[in-house]
Amino acid sequence: MSLENLAAGVVLLGLIAYAMFGGADFGGGVWTALAWGPRATQQREAIFRAMGPVWETNHVWLILVVVTLFTAFPSAFADLFTALLVPLLIALVGIVFRGAAFAFRHFGSSGEAGLPATGIVFSVASIITPMTMGMALGAVAGGHITIENGVVTSGLYEPWLRPFSVICGLIAVTMCGFLTAYYMATRSTGQLLEDFRKRGLAASLVLGALTTIAIPIAYWDADPFWDRLLEPAPLAVMGAAVVMGLASLVVLWQRWYVLAPPVAAGTVALVIAGWGAVQYPYLILPNERISDVAAGHATLGAFLIALPIGAVILIPSLVLLYATFSEKTGGPGVEGEGYGY
Amino acid sequence: MFDTVTSARALMGLSLAFHIIFATIGIGLPLLLLIAEGIALRSGDETYLRMAKRWGRVAAVLFAVGAVSGTILSFEFGLLWPTWIEFSGGIIGFPFALEGFAFFTEAIFLALYIYGWDRLSPKAHWLCTIPLVVSSAASAFFVISANAWMNQPAGFEVINGKAVNVDPIAAMFNSAMPYQVTHGTLASYVATGFAVAGVYAIAMLRGDRSDYNKKALVLGLAVAAVFTPLQIVSGDLSGRFLAHHQPEKFAAMEGQFETEKGAPLRIGGFPDPEDKTTRYAIEVPKLGSFLAFEDFNAEVRGLNSFPQDDIPDARLVHPFFQVMVGIAFFMLFVVVWFFGLAWWRKRIDPGRLLLLAVAVTVPLGFVAIEAGWFVTEFGRQPWIIYHLMRTADGSTPREGIAWVLMVFALVYVALAAGLALLLLREQRRPLEPRAQVGEGHGVA
Ligand code: HDD
Ligand code: HEM
Ligand code: HEM
Repeated sequence: MSLENLAAGVVLLGLIAYAMFGGADFGGGVWTALAWGPRATQQREAIFRAMGPVWETNHVWLILVVVTLFTAFPSAFADLFTALLVPLLIALVGIVFRGAAFAFRHFGSSGEAGLPATGIVFSVASIITPMTMGMALGAVAGGHITIENGVVTSGLYEPWLRPFSVICGLIAVTMCGFLTAYYMATRSTGQLLEDFRKRGLAASLVLGALTTIAIPIAYWDADPFWDRLLEPAPLAVMGAAVVMGLASLVVLWQRWYVLAPPVAAGTVALVIAGWGAVQYPYLILPNERISDVAAGHATLGAFLIALPIGAVILIPSLVLLYATFSEKTGGPGVEGEGYGY
Repeated sequence: MFDTVTSARALMGLSLAFHIIFATIGIGLPLLLLIAEGIALRSGDETYLRMAKRWGRVAAVLFAVGAVSGTILSFEFGLLWPTWIEFSGGIIGFPFALEGFAFFTEAIFLALYIYGWDRLSPKAHWLCTIPLVVSSAASAFFVISANAWMNQPAGFEVINGKAVNVDPIAAMFNSAMPYQVTHGTLASYVATGFAVAGVYAIAMLRGDRSDYNKKALVLGLAVAAVFTPLQIVSGDLSGRFLAHHQPEKFAAMEGQFETEKGAPLRIGGFPDPEDKTTRYAIEVPKLGSFLAFEDFNAEVRGLNSFPQDDIPDARLVHPFFQVMVGIAFFMLFVVVWFFGLAWWRKRIDPGRLLLLAVAVTVPLGFVAIEAGWFVTEFGRQPWIIYHLMRTADGSTPREGIAWVLMVFALVYVALAAGLALLLLREQRRPLEPRAQVGEGHGVA
């Protein structure tokens, strides 16, 4: 495998990790907005408590994707950020307000019920950000970013304000909610568990519906994507995603809770991997091939050598983090526990 | 309305100036946590444990703002400066990628530290501060080395406008790197030390001379006292490096228009690019030459000797340099006064005037850091990469960046206001009830 492809693989893995971990934090905002029923406050509190120690770490995956892109594919990075200026700006503002609202709410938290202003900001930003990011990815895959002689010629809006991008955005938001419900079901007990189970089942059905609708939309609005989708490799990965999605439905239905996080994460990982398989060997469909926009071998080599060295520190630390903060939260009465203030 | 380049420059400067405050605390505070909790563990003095808990709480929210403001920066490289990053990404992306690992380490151990009081053994909890100190210093090293590369580009050749034969390691270890990294990292410890000390000086001025306030004040000032002299020495080395390698910047710092043998050191004064003189400055004869070249009669190049399209604006660079150096000497004076008095009297009992002087330093470290960065960044102009790419050529082709500038100006106002409100509330919060060391360190 060439260095270029390895580096592109790192970008894809980074995106998958960001979706699997950071996505669940956005989903936390989605369910904060949609919390209902007699235990609405408890649902919000449980989500907040689960996110507290990990959201900042989960956010760093995005940083890793961005720096990998500009290190390994500087010209593609420049073109992407020029072409997708508007959606990326919106996503960025969303990221900023979401992070700040969460931190402020948490820091100032005195266990107030209901939805204070920070909670609203947190929810709205948590929906807008994956929506616009999904739209941006949809624009890349849909083939509507035009680049001539290395100059971006598409306008500020047309590559991403279109049906295929919108459906990609909706899928992204749904995936976030899907992940959170599955993760929270495993972490919860009692009535709270039932709440998250119902939400998980609903989210997986919506996800199934949206991905099904995406197929005719791709045919109609995303030619390069459609053309590549029917080749064996992308078809195989996408097929696996469908199977995994169905499996995740069964898992929650049958209440096999230990399996819920891996199947949910697996579904999301496969959907994104499928997107990656469709894109390959292009970074920006249909103009820029991975091999055309990669940095020199010295840079790619240094980067790819540093990566496993960093991983040796990173992976045990991540394991320590998640192991330290994975406990079940049940009904009322555990408020503030483990927060040590 | 501003044009694209002006807006992009203003937005970049605004974003960096915002981020550096949180980055500074993110580098400095872990060191204070390490010391405070370390003392608590060794001596069993619960005062220090309460200190660490309080600071950890504040650190959590400041780190979060640091993380989101840093994310803004990494996006802005692409949104505002695509042409620059297209050229530079393959060369200095490497340190940024390494920085990504440092961020991971920092975020992970910060979470363990802040949320782990009840879950980790006291020793394990304290040990978390070590990766925090190391990784935050490492992230400073990596970013500043990238900035140093913009001042002294190295590790590549240019053929047909493209960078070839790239050597990312050589780029990272460019000649400006040791100076900037040392000076830029030390600054965080100086600024955080004074800021923490100052907060408790204010509390003491208000009449609360408790043991807690006194100990926290001394701890902050002790850190500041160690790093301030080092900061001044490294600043002197930086200046000398510039005199040799970025003479335009040095001339602008000194307000030196004419090339001169035995150039004076100018304190204060207003550089006037029309008349090409620096007015109303106090001039110390020959000292400028000495500080630059260790020779009272050495020749210092003036701004007039460079192509006039290629020089920075001395009206910005000179005053910011003066502010930084002035603050440095004021800080030195404060720590000498404080510890000199304590040594003389054999006890720590600062008077009102001294407390007032310490209180004044709360913002000063940050002012010096902003000023220093303005010297570095304005002093590099008109180049985004020194002698290679002009700032105007590095920016995005998109129109309408002035709108982006306005949106983000509002974002920063909102963030700053929210944070100010929160910290004021925290300040009024009573301290944790007296705790034994080890309690709240609970289960192992
Ligand atoms: C606590 C903050 C602080 C203090 C007290 C000082 N500095 Fe500083 N200075 C910085 C914080 C700083 C900084 C913000 O950290 C900079 C910006 C870029 C950098 O690497 O460090 C800087 C830059 C900077 C530069 C420009 C470097 C370049 O562009 O490559 C010079 C020449 C000096 N400093 C010199 C001094 C001198 C002679 C000082 C004292 C007598 C001094 N600084 C005190
Ligand atoms: C954190 C402290 C820093 C501050 C306060 C700061 C401040 C500024 C300011 C005021 C400008 C606008 C200058 C002008 O156009 O006249 C600027 C520009 C810029 N800075 Fe910095 N800077 C900092 C650190 C860095 C670092 C570490 C990097 C990169 C590694 C960097 C990269 C840039 C770039 C790319 C520009 C735009 C191009 C230019 O104007 O030359 N800065 N910065
Ligand atoms: C001299 C200038 C800089 C220093 C010393 C510095 C240092 C730091 C530190 C210590 C942090 C940790 C978080 C915190 O403490 O709040 C941080 C966060 C961050 N910085 Fe900077 N930084 C600088 C400039 C930049 C620049 C130019 C970029 C642009 C790429 C950047 C990108 C980031 C990002 C993305 C984060 C967030 C990491 C996370 O998610 O945890 N920084 N910075």
